[in-house]
Amino acid sequence: MIDRIEFLWPEIALFVTTCVVMVLGLSRRIESRRMTALVTGLGLIIAGVLAARTTPIPGPRSGQVLLPELIPYAKVLIASVGSLLLLLQAGTVDRAEEAAIAAGQRPYDPLRTNRAEYYAFFLFSLTGLMLCASADDLIWLFLALELTSLPTYIMVAMSTGRARSREAGVKYFFLGALGAAVFLYGFALIYGGTGSTNLNAIHAHLAAHGLNLTALAGFILAFLGLCFKIAAVPMHFYAADVYQGAAPQVSAFLAFVPKAAGFISILLLTATIGWSYAADAQGPLYTPITQSAYDALEGAVSMGLPEPIRVFLWVIAALTMTVGNVLAILQKSVKRILAYSSIAHSGYMLVAVLAGPNNGTFSQSGLAAVLFYLLVYGVGNLGAFAVLACLEGRPDADGEPAEIEDVDDIRGLWKTRPLLAWVMTLSCLGLMGLPPLLGFFGKLPLFTSGLAAGEIVLVVILGLNSAVAAYYYLRLIKASLIDPPSDADLPATPTPFATRTLAGVLSAAGVVVLAFVGGGLMDRSERAARYTSMMAVAPPPPPRKTPYVPGDDTPFPLPIPIGAR
Amino acid sequence: MHPGPLAASDLASYLPVGLILLMAVGFAAANIFLSRIIGPSRPGGVVKGQTYESGMNPVGTARKRFNVRFYLIAMVFLVFDVEIVFLYPWAATFPNLSPGTDEGLVWLGRIFFFLFTTVVAYLYGFRKGVFKFD
Repeated sequence: MIDRIEFLWPEIALFVTTCVVMVLGLSRRIESRRMTALVTGLGLIIAGVLAARTTPIPGPRSGQVLLPELIPYAKVLIASVGSLLLLLQAGTVDRAEEAAIAAGQRPYDPLRTNRAEYYAFFLFSLTGLMLCASADDLIWLFLALELTSLPTYIMVAMSTGRARSREAGVKYFFLGALGAAVFLYGFALIYGGTGSTNLNAIHAHLAAHGLNLTALAGFILAFLGLCFKIAAVPMHFYAADVYQGAAPQVSAFLAFVPKAAGFISILLLTATIGWSYAADAQGPLYTPITQSAYDALEGAVSMGLPEPIRVFLWVIAALTMTVGNVLAILQKSVKRILAYSSIAHSGYMLVAVLAGPNNGTFSQSGLAAVLFYLLVYGVGNLGAFAVLACLEGRPDADGEPAEIEDVDDIRGLWKTRPLLAWVMTLSCLGLMGLPPLLGFFGKLPLFTSGLAAGEIVLVVILGLNSAVAAYYYLRLIKASLIDPPSDADLPATPTPFATRTLAGVLSAAGVVVLAFVGGGLMDRSERAARYTSMMAVAPPPPPRKTPYVPGDDTPFPLPIPIGAR
Repeated sequence: MHPGPLAASDLASYLPVGLILLMAVGFAAANIFLSRIIGPSRPGGVVKGQTYESGMNPVGTARKRFNVRFYLIAMVFLVFDVEIVFLYPWAATFPNLSPGTDEGLVWLGRIFFFLFTTVVAYLYGFRKGVFKFD
């Protein structure tokens, strides 16, 4: 018997690691407690290796019919960026407590030590993210998204001892619950409109009957709810406050993990709708393009998502880019600048989601562009937040070491901490998309895929926004690399945790090195974006009479890959 | 009825639900309205304004501190709860597995893994002092 579990070994590895970490982190011996981070890293590496060894079988067994190659790429990406994030998390939660125990001021009390929980939540969130990539069912997707998000609410609240962090945690939790409610309602409507929660069955139904109003409303609501996860415009209000309230290393986590979960889910849902619809002149329904119609229309009609969904995502993408960049210019706090810049990056990636697979090559496939950009953005963003995590000042009233707040606080970094100044510079240049660096190779396919899909106006907006973004990235670079050191009362002292610096240096190195040796990664992302659609099968399969049975091997005719036609 | 797509005409089947909703809202509104009109109005004294606690005289304030242990016990109970919820479908499916293969062993191993995670949850709770009553 072969079943889904063979595609879930990375998640199982992470889960077992979580169990070990939970027990180990409560040990009486400080040596054992210190092991938690090491064990977490080991678990991530094992999960990454297991994910790389997963050979996708196109078909319902792997769960992924529409994007069959997504699992290995996404999970290896998650494990790699997760390992970098882990380096950054050293000494986040129990620094004062451990210091008090070491100094003999306080006996060891398992109730007060929260290192075990912190690393367990970290791993749970990454497990949820990997499960998102394996999802083939709306219910599975919902549970995976919640498993990704729920631990992050607590991580935000416990990341520092400040009231500001708890406020951020509560804000994030309530708005997150709202977002979850919206996309869950959307999922319910999709089920109502198509009669299934299985993505492949939904796709088959849409391929046979087109998109009805109930399902359309469902998809719109689902995308709206997922906008919360990626911090796109109508649901972006929390981002700046939460990123500012959390410790910088947790903000780095928030800027990557929920965003990756959101984009993977959006890719899965858009793949379910399919990119080869044509507006029906008869009414509000959208008919799929079958093989014969596709051949007749190829070259004459630009394929795309159904018009209402295209317009919806178009507006969100344009607004997200513009609002994110314009508001980032107005900010004084470094963390808020980075928060708004992360909103803008979501807008960039939505352009590629709109573009769709086109002919499936790296320069034209929007799916490959999104998957590659997740890596580019993850690495660059991590470097910028790592600089903030590496700098701290005198303990403030709450007993916490002061954080970098304003742009002025990083002035003259080249003199005090030259290494961090370069990390900040390279990360910002990478996020900006300057040609020789990784950011450029990430951003270019966003443009080319958009152009290939005929979204000229959106690509122009994307170009203008990239220019606007240069202003605030250059402001950060100028402060850290050119300005003289300020004589403010916050001397940026080095953090005692060397791994945080290591995380920053590794990300900055990644921004440079991956640009030159990243060809293989591009091939991987192109492969991961391979999209198979049943829209191209003629005649369309009959609607399913029975509910989907897990393990049922032949529920649908095997689709023809779009690139293979 | 097989779970087919929801056509626009199917919305008509929700008519009874809509009627019941209307009736519920109407009943509540009518009662409030009627009691305002025909009910006697006698502004009461001290006793009438007091909180009703099963006929007892209320003691202390409502803003009382609860021991956090109640919540901890509720959480530990949840672990049991979820465990049972998963064990039922497993037990119901187990006799239907194909006989003569090692499928049964695989399924047994999986449920033991699941039970093991419950043990971890209890170990964690124990270490955190959930079961300490002092």
